[in-house]
Amino acid sequence: MTYFESYLTVGAFIALGALLVGVVLVLARALAPSNPSAEKLSTYECGVDPVGSGWSQTYVRYYLYGLLFVIFDIEAVFIFPWAIQLESLGMFGLIEMLVFIGILVLGLVYAIRKGVLRWE
Amino acid sequence: MTFEIDYLALAPELVVAGTIIAALLLDLFLTRSKKYWVAVLSVVGVAGGLVPIVYMLAEGGTRSMFDGSYVVDEFALILKIVFLVSGYLVLLMSVSYIEADRYYQGEYYFLLLSSILGSLVMSSSRDLIVLFIGLELTTGPLFLLAGWRKGDAKSNEASLKFFILGVLSTAILLYGMSLLFGLTGSVEFTAIAAAIPDLVSEPALALSVLFLIVGFAFKASAVPFHFWAPDTYEGAPTPVAAYLSVNSKAAGFVAMLIVMYTALPGISEVWAPALWVLAALSMTVGNLSALRQGNIVRLLAYSSIAQAGFMLVPFAAAAVAGSDLAQAFSATVVYLVIYALMNLGAFAVVIAGARRTGSGDIDDWAGLGQKDPVLGLLTALFFLSLAGIPPLAGWYAKFVMFASVIEAGGISTLVLAAIAAVNSVIAFYYYARVIKAVWLDTPSEELLARPGREYAGSIKLTLAISMGLTIAIGIYPTFATYFGEASRVIATGGG
Amino acid sequence: MIVTAGWYMGLAAILFAIGALGILIRRNALVMFMCVELMLNAVNLTLISAGRELGTLDGQVSVFFVLVVAAAEVVVGLAILVSVFRNRATASVDELAELSG
Repeated sequence: MTYFESYLTVGAFIALGALLVGVVLVLARALAPSNPSAEKLSTYECGVDPVGSGWSQTYVRYYLYGLLFVIFDIEAVFIFPWAIQLESLGMFGLIEMLVFIGILVLGLVYAIRKGVLRWE
Repeated sequence: MTFEIDYLALAPELVVAGTIIAALLLDLFLTRSKKYWVAVLSVVGVAGGLVPIVYMLAEGGTRSMFDGSYVVDEFALILKIVFLVSGYLVLLMSVSYIEADRYYQGEYYFLLLSSILGSLVMSSSRDLIVLFIGLELTTGPLFLLAGWRKGDAKSNEASLKFFILGVLSTAILLYGMSLLFGLTGSVEFTAIAAAIPDLVSEPALALSVLFLIVGFAFKASAVPFHFWAPDTYEGAPTPVAAYLSVNSKAAGFVAMLIVMYTALPGISEVWAPALWVLAALSMTVGNLSALRQGNIVRLLAYSSIAQAGFMLVPFAAAAVAGSDLAQAFSATVVYLVIYALMNLGAFAVVIAGARRTGSGDIDDWAGLGQKDPVLGLLTALFFLSLAGIPPLAGWYAKFVMFASVIEAGGISTLVLAAIAAVNSVIAFYYYARVIKAVWLDTPSEELLARPGREYAGSIKLTLAISMGLTIAIGIYPTFATYFGEASRVIATGGG
Repeated sequence: MIVTAGWYMGLAAILFAIGALGILIRRNALVMFMCVELMLNAVNLTLISAGRELGTLDGQVSVFFVLVVAAAEVVVGLAILVSVFRNRATASVDELAELSG
């Protein structure tokens, strides 16, 4: 099987999925009784109607969390290759990684002390 | 698997890295009124980084680590001295400037030190990854430093422009690197240089070299990739502008030269003409634009663009003529050392002058020499040195540049020399304009009425150091020649 | 049909070109920023496919560093953008004309 032939399975699944949805929609239209009222046509029949525009502003503090997350998340990328080679790297590798993580922790401590993680 | 780590070779970086962490911790636990201790620590740490370098220079020899990816030879040591000394001077001139703002002091020194660390790493790098890390560590913190005055719209804009163009240049540079890696199969410079001869006919190779040049030229703010520089210099705090014009520019510049010299000498017919054009354009456009500037920081920004052009001249000329690149390399390093000193001095004068006159416009500086003769003399000293008037250091930089061009020979290099000569004359005109304003124009009532304030000790020290070295090198150029000669050792370094 | 490393290189080149084009024609700082990310990812794709083709790890190691540096730059860039937004409610670089070149 070459590279593209393995995509045939994906294609079959997509076709099957589309067919299934189509059949269900047609069946529903054919079988269900249609009896609309104002209540039934509202956006959320059993919820609160939305107020204001969909483009609401996010509280700026949220960005700080996001930024911190991105940084700490991506640093984990260095830990994966180290973990695979842990045994052959030995003690030196362990200390090296502890220094690396120590610096990251320092950054986190810094962020906490500066009040970045406080939501007020 | 074993790791041979030469801790002495890494000592300068380790000292600076330790200082960074200590500065971060100190900033956390100091009350606002005691923040100047962070500044003291930073200044001491950067000076401490010089100690192992001097020791290694005295000892001599080349130290190589990580399969030749990280090399500490005399060239690297010389550059580290340049970066540390200029970083030291910028830190000194920052102290009173940043203290006047009264906020975010700790972070300022943290970011500046990180940038210095980046340039130290960069000067030892002999492979693409280390070079890239070093260069990004140099410029990354500067995006934030350029926008230091958070509430100020100008500072914001300076930072945003610098950031977008800086990241764009990074992407272009990286794409060039990835193509180079794909073609040569290695990230290490000596291996790349060995693989080049078989690939000369490959069009993608020329493309990757051009991408690299564009990326470096952005960082070094060479024309036509200079658009961000004047705006960023004006909007950034003045010490940061000084740092941008010296360390950050030098970092981009040196990275370009290292790559061209150690990795790509086999394909100089592609990059030599490009450097020639960059040099000619930078000199001409930088100088002509500087003529029209009324703000002194913008004037220095354009002047530093033009100076980068002068710096490129020896290397571009030697590459175009196909003559000895090592000779050109040492000429460029001599120019770089002298430029760093006099340009930092000029920026320190701008900081002091802006405090005295309350303005950055050259017209408002009229008669400053009568109000404050010492500052007036220093203005004359640094600007005359930038113009290349003997017996100040600047003349020797220009002399070395022209000497190396004449040595290279050939028609196209002579044309470049002619362009450089014409530009030296233009440059003299606008440097002299500042001196004329300071000494010959009549001072305004307002300036005479301003109360004479004492300058901070740190800015006096900055001015004294850069003045002393500018005069000393001018009278006794052997000092600078030593730097140039020692920097040739890169030819044998690289593992 | 066999997909060789050359195809990935081609895709990377196209991505890079789209990103570069986006920087040139879009004027929203946030969108320009996303275009740069696209360019950086094109670089990563080139490095990975070249590294695989050559059978060396250098390409993948480079990608680690490019990733981390790109993330650091995202953070710096967003911080700058937040600061710009606070002072003036716009992200269009054309409206930032306080300093004229």
